[in-house]
Amino acid sequence: MDVKKPASQENLNGDESESQISHLALDIGGSLIKVVYFLRSNGSGGSVDDSGKKSDPVLEGRLHFAKFETSKINDCLEFIRSKNLHLAGGGAYKFADLIKEKLGVVLDKEDEMDCLVTGANFLLKAVHQEAFTYVDGQKEFVQIDQNDLYPYLLVNIGSGVSMIKVDGDGKFERISGTSVGGGTFWGLGRLLTNCKSFDELLELSHQGNNRVIDMLVGDIYGGSEYSKIGLTSTNIASSFGKAISDNKELKDYKPEDVARSLLRMISNNIGQISYLNALRFGLKRIFFAGFFIRGHAYTMDTISVAVSFWSKGDAKAMFLRHEGFLGALGAFVSYENHGLGGLKTHQSVQQFAVSKTYAGKKICCLVNEDLNDNESIDFGVAFAA
Amino acid sequence: MDVKKPASQENLNGDESESQISHLALDIGGSLIKVVYFLRSNGSGGSVDDSGKKSDPVLEGRLHFAKFETSKINDCLEFIRSKNLHLAGFRHHDASASDKTLIKATGGGAYKFADLIKEKLGVVLDKEDEMDCLVTGANFLLKAVHQEAFTYVDGQKEFVQIDQNDLYPYLLVNIGSGVSMIKVDGDGKFERISGTSVGGGTFWGLGRLLTNCKSFDELLELSHQGNNRVIDMLVGDIYGGSEYSKIGLTSTNIASSFGKAISDNKELKDYKPEDVARSLLRMISNNIGQISYLNALRFGLKRIFFAGFFIRGHAYTMDTISVAVSFWSKGDAKAMFLRHEGFLGALGAFVSYENHGLGGLKTHQSVQQFAVSKTYAGKKICCLVNEDLNDNESIDFGVAFAA
Repeated sequence: MDVKKPASQENLNGDESESQISHLALDIGGSLIKVVYFLRSNGSGGSVDDSGKKSDPVLEGRLHFAKFETSKINDCLEFIRSKNLHLAGGGAYKFADLIKEKLGVVLDKEDEMDCLVTGANFLLKAVHQEAFTYVDGQKEFVQIDQNDLYPYLLVNIGSGVSMIKVDGDGKFERISGTSVGGGTFWGLGRLLTNCKSFDELLELSHQGNNRVIDMLVGDIYGGSEYSKIGLTSTNIASSFGKAISDNKELKDYKPEDVARSLLRMISNNIGQISYLNALRFGLKRIFFAGFFIRGHAYTMDTISVAVSFWSKGDAKAMFLRHEGFLGALGAFVSYENHGLGGLKTHQSVQQFAVSKTYAGKKICCLVNEDLNDNESIDFGVAFAA
Repeated sequence: MDVKKPASQENLNGDESESQISHLALDIGGSLIKVVYFLRSNGSGGSVDDSGKKSDPVLEGRLHFAKFETSKINDCLEFIRSKNLHLAGFRHHDASASDKTLIKATGGGAYKFADLIKEKLGVVLDKEDEMDCLVTGANFLLKAVHQEAFTYVDGQKEFVQIDQNDLYPYLLVNIGSGVSMIKVDGDGKFERISGTSVGGGTFWGLGRLLTNCKSFDELLELSHQGNNRVIDMLVGDIYGGSEYSKIGLTSTNIASSFGKAISDNKELKDYKPEDVARSLLRMISNNIGQISYLNALRFGLKRIFFAGFFIRGHAYTMDTISVAVSFWSKGDAKAMFLRHEGFLGALGAFVSYENHGLGGLKTHQSVQQFAVSKTYAGKKICCLVNEDLNDNESIDFGVAFAA
């Protein structure tokens, strides 16, 4: 399929209008559509490197992120059209026809696993303070040593879960997965509580107490632990095990307790299966991605504790700030494969605090001071003329 | 502890009243109480072996099984009392009349309900470790009961011939309220290597919240008629009908359990309870199959025996677990099921009576009226015949006692 140059490139060496679009990439999942688009900032153009030599022009600007429910794809298409993003060139299979009809663009489909891994490697190498651990309620950023990044396990928690062993750039294998994922939490949660959204469900869980509904070891053993097999009295023996009670129905339980037990069950389960797979391949670092987590403390705590419990402290759970955008970012990065202007390394872009190369192909100068703002990444892209 | 002979032995060579009790054992779990008790049949007494030598007397009879909900423990105690099963325990050698009888019990409830049972039945529970009993019960069944283990493939039940010299090691997955996964290396040699809190209690509890079914069996029955594709999000639903063969997924593989229930347009009441029950059963069975396999893989175990009362011979459950183990192991590992699935713990507790030298349980070489004659751990003969494959309720059984 031929790819046209995005309209904005025609302005590369001439007058640049403000915030011209260069690239748009979509990751259309089972539940959510993730959008990544690059807006050029004013004044970017040719640059001079340290030795005074004129080097390739650099497009500076920002990477922006947005998401929509897949069930509301028309809202997403309208957003894209309203910002003229579609001129910039992912469920990509399922909605290809619709998008062609509504926006007049053809989707250049990239493999999902490929994009997830590309996006992960990109973030881990190029974005400052992207990965962090969450232990005892404390967020701690992880220093990624680029020479010691591989191999690692990438666990992408979307509607469902994919577990991918990453051995290098473009070198990976999807080793496992589970159907008990974000869609399960949202779906079961909606049936049980009538929450209108995933975020509402998460919010509700914040106030719940899982001991009302979960059957603990102590509930079975009359208050005692079962230390012989490594279980304390407060370990969960059976999720939702107390809900078998004849005396109560769904309406007799508080929705926040239901939401909490559900979140605990699914998070624990993902942590356990992730660890068992990491163990198979001797992987000590597990990066959790996808929109299930959303920086929710209880979720991160549960996953971290599960990984720690099952690995007896050997493996570490790590989270990513741009967790849900790996696929879209990976699709975005794949534009370089089409030689759009020929993306090339650029050694110095001084106005940015961090300067790194990514796969020797281009500079991504990424600064994101606001740790809670996942919405944009300052970014520079060098184009060959 | 000195052990007196059980009351019934006094009748061993004399007149025996019909169906005297010898032993009762309990496994009191989070959701269910499992009861095993032995009823002697008439006419059992001394036996003569092949060479004409008089050997130790054999008590023949039947092992009976029963279960109750733990929340209805009083019904269970009433059952025990009405059949005088609580008189079947053993006493200390120099126990006074006011001392309590001891009954073997395992499971968490052996601790939790010890006082209640002492008060209601006047017996003291002799607690046995839960994992110990599960393994003892499993080994006992696999070695001594004819046609105990079977596979379930393509809707077909196929009994497994257990080679006693090639039994170990294996993975025992006991699916009760929660799940325990135990690597078994020999008689009394085992390690609980893992478990999951997503078990039978989860299915029952979540199922009750979602469907208002009054019992576990009702929920299972409901699931029989359901269609999981209504509520589960399949790979094809995400990929517009296509498969994702590059990563080994077909269009009908489940990508996200309950993933379609996120829909704004519908609430719980708009779904058929049978579809909900089916998706729930599928999700939990698949999950157990997967985690079981991942643990079997860790230790190179090829045979996985599933026990506990989650399965209950339900076709869809066994099929799902079998397919999951097969899928994740790429055909390498096999899922097997046990006919007396839920009674492992109680049986293990029952068998542990022999540790107290009750009369000194011994091997007895010939008990000819039984079709099958086997030794168990060199300790006693269990002659077990159970013609009716659907009847889990009793096992013909012989126990040899030293005089």
